[in-house]
Amino acid sequence: MAVAAPSAPDFQIAVRGDALTAVCFTAMASPCEVLLETADMQEVAELARAAAHEAWRIERKFSRYREDSVVSEINRSEGNPVAVDQETAALIDYAAQCHALSEGRFDVTSGVLRGCWRFDGSDRVPEVAAVARLLPLIGFEKLQWRSPQITVPPGMEVDFGGFGKEYAVDRVLAILCTQFPGAVLVNFGGDLASNCAPTQAPWQVGVERPGTDREARLLLEFSRGGLATSGDTHRFLERNGTRYGHILDVRTGWPVPLVPRSVTVAAGSCVEAGMLATFAMLQGRGAEDFLEAQGVRYWSLR
Amino acid sequence: MQLKRPPSALHLGLMAASCALLSPAARVQAADSVEQPFELDSALLYYKENSGRVQTIEPVVSLKKDFGDQRILGGTFTVDSLSGATPNGALPSRKPQTFASPSSTSLIPQPGKKTTLYTIVPGNLPQDPHFKEQRFAGDADWSQPLGLDNTLSFGGHASTEHDFDSLSVHTDYSRDFNEKNTTLSAGVSEEYDQIHAHGGNPVPGSDYELYEHEGGQTKTVSGALIGVTQIMARNWLMDLNYTYDHSEGYLTDPYRILSVLDPLGSVTGYRYENRPDSRGRQGLYWVNKVAFGTTVLDVSYRRGKDSWGIGSDTVDAHLRIDLGRGVYLEPHLRWYHQSAADFYDLYLSAATPAPQFMSADPRLAAFIGTTAGLKLGVTIGRYGEMSLRLEEYEQRPSDQSSALPQLQGLNLNPNLTATIAQLSWRLQF
Repeated sequence: MAVAAPSAPDFQIAVRGDALTAVCFTAMASPCEVLLETADMQEVAELARAAAHEAWRIERKFSRYREDSVVSEINRSEGNPVAVDQETAALIDYAAQCHALSEGRFDVTSGVLRGCWRFDGSDRVPEVAAVARLLPLIGFEKLQWRSPQITVPPGMEVDFGGFGKEYAVDRVLAILCTQFPGAVLVNFGGDLASNCAPTQAPWQVGVERPGTDREARLLLEFSRGGLATSGDTHRFLERNGTRYGHILDVRTGWPVPLVPRSVTVAAGSCVEAGMLATFAMLQGRGAEDFLEAQGVRYWSLR
Repeated sequence: MQLKRPPSALHLGLMAASCALLSPAARVQAADSVEQPFELDSALLYYKENSGRVQTIEPVVSLKKDFGDQRILGGTFTVDSLSGATPNGALPSRKPQTFASPSSTSLIPQPGKKTTLYTIVPGNLPQDPHFKEQRFAGDADWSQPLGLDNTLSFGGHASTEHDFDSLSVHTDYSRDFNEKNTTLSAGVSEEYDQIHAHGGNPVPGSDYELYEHEGGQTKTVSGALIGVTQIMARNWLMDLNYTYDHSEGYLTDPYRILSVLDPLGSVTGYRYENRPDSRGRQGLYWVNKVAFGTTVLDVSYRRGKDSWGIGSDTVDAHLRIDLGRGVYLEPHLRWYHQSAADFYDLYLSAATPAPQFMSADPRLAAFIGTTAGLKLGVTIGRYGEMSLRLEEYEQRPSDQSSALPQLQGLNLNPNLTATIAQLSWRLQF
C-alpha cells in the first residue's frame, strides 16, 4: 500500500508487510530511503518531513551546483577571507583531518581537475600540459583556515562532495533518533546508517556495486553503524586499451592506477565508512591491503 | 571477508574526526540509550549585603526528566539561610534608641514574658541584629504536548519558614502557529500564604509602645499572563508578555515600624506600618534574543505599575560570548528604577494624626538599582556545564535626608550594596 504524505508531496510513504514503513524522496541526485520500525502513520509523516528537510537543507547549503550555497560563496571569494558558521567549520575541520590522515591523498581542493577530466566513457584523455597547469591550484595546505575564517586563493575551489552525502545520512539518522525510539535505517543511494536492527531480524541491504551488472549486487545483513561504497561506476575514460578511472591522484593530477571497481566498507558511522572506502580507492593496487590493516569489514570488487 | 583486527592508528584518527564532525547529537545512539536522560542542575548562591546586613547561602537543586514526546517533569528544591542585621524601618536619631526583637512577647521585661532588646547608637540606622531565618522551598512542574501544536503545563510550589508558609498552583497553555514561528501563551496562578510572625502579628498602624498583637493572618495572590513569542528572523527571537496579579489580605510587613517625630525631628514614638489590604500589579515585559554567529545578546525591558502608586522600569542585558573550546563569558548589566508607594514616607509627624496607610520600608521607596556582573562558563564532557557568576548590586534611594534640625547630617536611607556569587553545575545522566 502506498500512501502519499498528507501535507508534503515531495516524499512518499509506504507501509511494508514486515512492520516497517518506508519513506522515499530524492536528494543530492540520489534516491533516498528511510525505513522506520513503526506503522503509526501520524508519527511517520512527522519523521518523514524531518528527514527530507534535513537532507534538502544540507544539499542547499553545501551543493557546489547552487549559487546560494556556502560552498559557492567560499569559491567566489577571490582570495578574501570568508567567515563560516559552526557547521561549515566542522566540515572544513573534517576535511583538514582527512587530508592529514591520508597524507595529502584526500583533498577537498581537487575539484578543479574537473576542468580537464570529463569521465564520460569516451577516449578524450587530457593533454599532459593541461593537467600540469591545474596542479598549482590544488592543495589543502594552500588554504588559510583559522576557524571560523577561511581564505581560498584565487582560482582554487573547495568541494565537500567527497563526504557530503555520507554526512547527510548520519545527520538524518541522528535527527530521527532524537524523535523516534525504534529502529531506523537511512539509505541515500547505497550509503547508509542505522541506529539498531528491527526486533524481528537484521536489516537486509542490497548494495549496488558500481561497474558490475545487477547480479553482482551485494546482499548484506546489517544491524547498526554506517556502510558506504566507493566505485568508478561508468565514470572512466578508455584509450588505446588503457582504462582511466575517476579516482585522481592530487599529486600528479592523473588517475590512480589499478583501483578496485568498487569498495564497500562497514564502520561506526556513514562518514567514517565512506572515508575509509575513499582512502582505500586512493591506494590503487594496495586498496585491500590497506583495508585489512585498518581492521574493518569490507567488500571489494576488481 | 577477513578476520576482525583492532583498528589501526589511521582508523582511530578517522573515527575521532568523524565523531567530532557528527557530535554532539549526531553520533549513532545505541538501541538501549534512546531513553531520555535526567538533567540535574545545582547551584550554590552566596549573597552578602554591605555593613553587616543580611547574608545568605542558598543551595538549589533541580532535576528534570524528559519522558520523550516533549513530556517533561521538573522539580526544584531550595534551602535558604538568612542571617544578619535587617533595618526595622525607624530612622537614625541623635539619641540612643532601644527596640525589642520580634521574638519578644513584651517590650518591657516582665515575669513570664520573653524580651530581647537591642539598642542603636546615635546616628546609626536601626537594624535588628538578631535576624535569622531558614526557608525550605520546593516546586514541581509537568509539561506535555496536547495534539501537534499545543502545550499544556501545570505545577505547584510550596515553601515554609518560621513565620511564613506559602502554597501556589499554576497552569499554562501555549499554542504554536505559523509553522511554529509564533507561539501564543496564557496562564493563571493562585497563591495562598499564611503569615504568623514571632509573638503574633502586630496590629497594623498601632502604637509600638502598646505592643498590640493578634493571631496569624493570610493573603491570596491571583495572577494571569498572556504572551506572544515570535521568531523574527533566523537569529532573532522576540517575546512580549503582559501579567496582572491581584493580592488580597495581610500585605503588611509585621516587623516594620516607622519613627514618629516632633517638628524638630526628635523621636516621640514609633508605629507599626500599615499597608492597604489589596494590591493590583501590571507588568509588560519585552524580551529580545539575537544571535550574531556564536555571540548571543539578550536584551529586555519591563514596565511595571501597581495600585499603590509604584511605577517601575527595568532594562536588562546579557551578552554571551563564545570563546571556543566550550568556554563562554557572559557580561550582565541591569538598571532598575521605581517610584515610591503613595503611602511611603521616611517618618510620621507627631503634629498630625497618623494616616490610614503608612510604611517606611525602603523597598517601597523611590530608588535606582544597578547590577553589573560577569559569568564564566565551561562545558564539561558532552552535556555537563559549570559556571561561576559574580555580581555587584547597588540600590540608591532618592530620599536620603531631611531638613528637620535634629536630622540634619544624618543619612536616613543609606545606599545598599550587595555582592552575589553563584557557582552552578549541570549534569546529564
